[in-house]
Amino acid sequence: MQQETAEAGRWENLKLSISVFMANKSAVVGLIIVLVYLIDALIMQFDPMLLGIHHPDVLVPNFLNPVPLPPSPQHILGTTYPGIDLLTSILKAIRIDLAYSFFVVAVGASVGAVIGIVSAWASGMFDEVIMRITDIVFSIPYLILALAVGFILGRSLWHMSIALAITWWPLYARYARSQTLSTKEYTFIEAAKAAGVGRTTIMFRHILPNVLPPIFIQISLDLGSIMVIFSTLAFIGFIPSANIPELGYLTSLGLNFVQTAPWALIFPGLFITIFALAVNLLGDGLRDVIDPRRRG
Amino acid sequence: MSEVLKVKEVKQQFYTRRGIYKALNGIELELRKGEVFGIAGESGSGKSTLGLTIMGLLPRNASVTSGSVLLDGKDVIAPLREYATKSNQKFNFRRNENVIKKMNRELSTIRGNKVAMVFQDPMTSLNPVLQVGYQVAETMLVHQPRTLAMRRLARANAKRSDLNEALKVLRATESDEKALEDFFRNKGLEGLTEQVISIWRRKDLADAKKEKMILSLHSEKLSWFDRFVLNAVKEKGNLPSWLSKTPILSRYTRRVLLKEGYLKALELLSTLEVPNADKVIRMYPHELSGGMRQRIVIAIALANNPELVIMDEPTSALDVTVQAQILELVRHLKVKFNTSFIFISHDLSVLSEVCDRIGIMYGGRIVEIAPTKEIFDNPMHPYTKFLIAAIPTLEEKEIQEIGGAVPDMRFPPSGCMFHPRCPYIMEICRERVPDMIQVSKDHYVACFLYSGDNK
Amino acid sequence: MKLWVYIVRRLLLFIPTLIGLTFIVFVLSHSGGTNLVLAEYVNPRLTGEARTLLIQKLTEEFHLNQPIYIQYFYWLYQIMQGNWGYTNTPIFSGSVVTAIELFLPNTAMIAAVASILIWVIGVPLGVYSAVNRDSATDQVVRVGSFSLYAMPIYLIAVALILAVGVYLKILPFAGVVNPLLVSNLSWYHNGISYPTHIILIDAILHNNWQVAWNAFLHLLLPSLTLALATVASIIRILRASMLEVLDQDYIRLAWSKGISAKLVYNLHARRNALLPLLTLFGLTVAFLLGGAVVIETVFSYPGIGYWTTQALLNNDVGGIMASTLLFGLILVSANLILDIAYAFVDPRIRY
Repeated sequence: MQQETAEAGRWENLKLSISVFMANKSAVVGLIIVLVYLIDALIMQFDPMLLGIHHPDVLVPNFLNPVPLPPSPQHILGTTYPGIDLLTSILKAIRIDLAYSFFVVAVGASVGAVIGIVSAWASGMFDEVIMRITDIVFSIPYLILALAVGFILGRSLWHMSIALAITWWPLYARYARSQTLSTKEYTFIEAAKAAGVGRTTIMFRHILPNVLPPIFIQISLDLGSIMVIFSTLAFIGFIPSANIPELGYLTSLGLNFVQTAPWALIFPGLFITIFALAVNLLGDGLRDVIDPRRRG
Repeated sequence: MSEVLKVKEVKQQFYTRRGIYKALNGIELELRKGEVFGIAGESGSGKSTLGLTIMGLLPRNASVTSGSVLLDGKDVIAPLREYATKSNQKFNFRRNENVIKKMNRELSTIRGNKVAMVFQDPMTSLNPVLQVGYQVAETMLVHQPRTLAMRRLARANAKRSDLNEALKVLRATESDEKALEDFFRNKGLEGLTEQVISIWRRKDLADAKKEKMILSLHSEKLSWFDRFVLNAVKEKGNLPSWLSKTPILSRYTRRVLLKEGYLKALELLSTLEVPNADKVIRMYPHELSGGMRQRIVIAIALANNPELVIMDEPTSALDVTVQAQILELVRHLKVKFNTSFIFISHDLSVLSEVCDRIGIMYGGRIVEIAPTKEIFDNPMHPYTKFLIAAIPTLEEKEIQEIGGAVPDMRFPPSGCMFHPRCPYIMEICRERVPDMIQVSKDHYVACFLYSGDNK
Repeated sequence: MKLWVYIVRRLLLFIPTLIGLTFIVFVLSHSGGTNLVLAEYVNPRLTGEARTLLIQKLTEEFHLNQPIYIQYFYWLYQIMQGNWGYTNTPIFSGSVVTAIELFLPNTAMIAAVASILIWVIGVPLGVYSAVNRDSATDQVVRVGSFSLYAMPIYLIAVALILAVGVYLKILPFAGVVNPLLVSNLSWYHNGISYPTHIILIDAILHNNWQVAWNAFLHLLLPSLTLALATVASIIRILRASMLEVLDQDYIRLAWSKGISAKLVYNLHARRNALLPLLTLFGLTVAFLLGGAVVIETVFSYPGIGYWTTQALLNNDVGGIMASTLLFGLILVSANLILDIAYAFVDPRIRY
């Protein structure tokens, strides 16, 4: 009986969550855009021929006609130097950017989240030291630190994402820590402690289920920012003259033609912006759903 | 007896994503001068909403669908009601908020001046980044700049002999305030009366010390510019616009008045028995205890001697000893300034200590109004009976709890709101809303048990 | 707690932070073993006998033969002596300290102009947009700040270059000054002006108003780009925090006092709403510096960021490590100053 009402309550709650989310039109648009990007990435991964693309991993230059061409029926978004078709390259690049951004988020954020939660849970000296360290790493601009780390590792796409993962964890460590700390203060945790429930049980049964969802939402929100930073690093020349379809790199190819062929810069940049925007809009909607004050 | 406040048929609701909450469903209330009116009820009965509606302090999702609140001859909620009844289209948060902004402008002459409010939680109702003294002084600065100017000018103009004579008057008439007021008026030093009296009234000082303080009131000199500013304020009633509009000058001239506002705040706080008031006015809210903070909120409310003070659970967040002090204060103020109070509380025993009359609220309606003694001796509404039975006493009796829960105000029950929980339920209770009927002088109840037409 | 106790405590906490920061940079620049350290300090054009001698000398100075934890202290000692290594990039070749001396003022200049723009644009817009929630202006501000927030900095730069520089042709978008104007000036050699190295200020010092005006125009686009890239988050945070403050009990109390809307918004609400922004100002500084790297590259503006990218592209380890340390130091100090300033503004923090 009680089980049933709990079940019904949960269902009711889910329905409300969905209606709150659907009421936010821009969030729905964001969701659709993100899905389109994901579908494109999946197509590129498994069956690029569906879109008539032969080499999803490399850019196809055309040295016979290297100068950027404006958009035309053959090249819907035009071409960039050296004669690379922009539309197909952007479609390829979305997969690469998404994949590497996912990697950065998955590694950097989960390491950070674990450190933050453990540190808040342990408290005392350990917490103090960990937080000092995060503060220090945090104090170096991530772009610079990523540059330095990547430089030491050697300049490549792969190393660039490792460098970003290394520099991004403090943000999540802080966030996860503050989440855990505030959850620890909740009355039901106090009650569980008073009832003699063991530390580990409290951690896994009570704290984590409350701490993880908002952290994961925060993390997924940063997918957009990481993609932006990722492409920024590529743009300033982190990837040495490679033939890799990457949005920032594509943009940098057009840099010398800014006056004659602005499309070569604008289109790849636009695709990053749209993705970051969509993720942010989506996140706003999700935050509406989890923040009880905004639900009202 | 004249009425300070007249609330008629007020219906108010909140729009939320989960539905429309009907918070007030036809409130009728009249408040007499110098009266303390208690409002009791469970949480969710609309007590606090009623207080906020009277002040016109409603959030953007609040809509007033009917009724009026007459305060100082002005219908406070008229703009909101007009918006809600006029527009046939859907309720629009932004438009409603614009109406509220307009109301804020219109009510700024009344709020803080004729009517003031004390909120429930003293820990959050003071601005954390402003000095306590400023927060008290501000409301005087806005509403009564002339009084402040006159106080300051009177101090600068008074001679030591004037104050000596004033002391003589006080002693001769055994601290008669009227006599002192007349004395100062004849001298053209009206602003001094309350300053002298507030020192004279202090209980924490010896008489010799007080006399010395009163005599020292005259010693402060004024610069020509300050005097010019203050005189302008005294004549015009506010800062001349060329002074208050010029960027740097406005700041300086405001400060002249603000300084006096701080002194007045200091007096006010000493009247409220705040220890070390001279230090407290320079402090920030977080440096003070909850009881202290609530006194400051009360000081802000009383700063301009308003006709009506609404106290929304002023003691619920405080411990019992502080609560007793604050109740004592309300009793004292009522006698001294003839101020009317609306005292909102969920605790009937608290209300019984200060109130003249008590109204019981349920489901956004007042179901019974009676003088305090009457309501305890002869409660008539079944809900009132339950509330009184639920008060814990020292006698060994079983505390009765009220069965059922507060109704979901999105879907309020038909007829009498209390019928789902009422043990005396009749057929008619489900169908019709009971009218208020007078059962004896000042005792009204809304229940079909007493209306005679309960067939 | 007294204010000065708080300040002293904060200053003491500064020391471990500094040690941590330098340690990170040390680990980075020693992670490649002895070779990386030598690469930082040896001019690559040096060959033969002189090179061997220099390497010997450096090995001794930095105690490169000793265990790594001992090396840290010798390295720190050298750093404190101002021995930051050697940089070799197309735009500058020589001692790192000199490079910083030449490039840092330019970066400081655009960061300063950008900061002013940020506050002048951001605070009024954020407050206005919160106070007039859901109005047409608010919608525009929200969409605008959302899009700016999502845009990579280089795209903002490119958009501005295209719109203002290429299409409207009203502002220059490369370098710090028109080279034709400065070719014969006594205080300008090889792209470096004297004595402050900020050409705008130097031109004013030398009473050359034509150059000063030209330098000022060159300053505008990079600063505006930097400001736009940062202002979006400022507006978003300020709007959110203002909305939260406007919901607080003390704002309701302020309304209940009958004071004017102007006073409620500008004094009671804004002061509280700005507090969280102040703690975030450290982040803003980080954002400004990080953004400067990209923007200086796009605009070929000779600041620290441009130098850093040049170092990256030319495999100049000295430049990379030095700018990491420098940026870290700037940020750590900025945070220290902000923390202390915060204690002055928010009376609660001292307790």
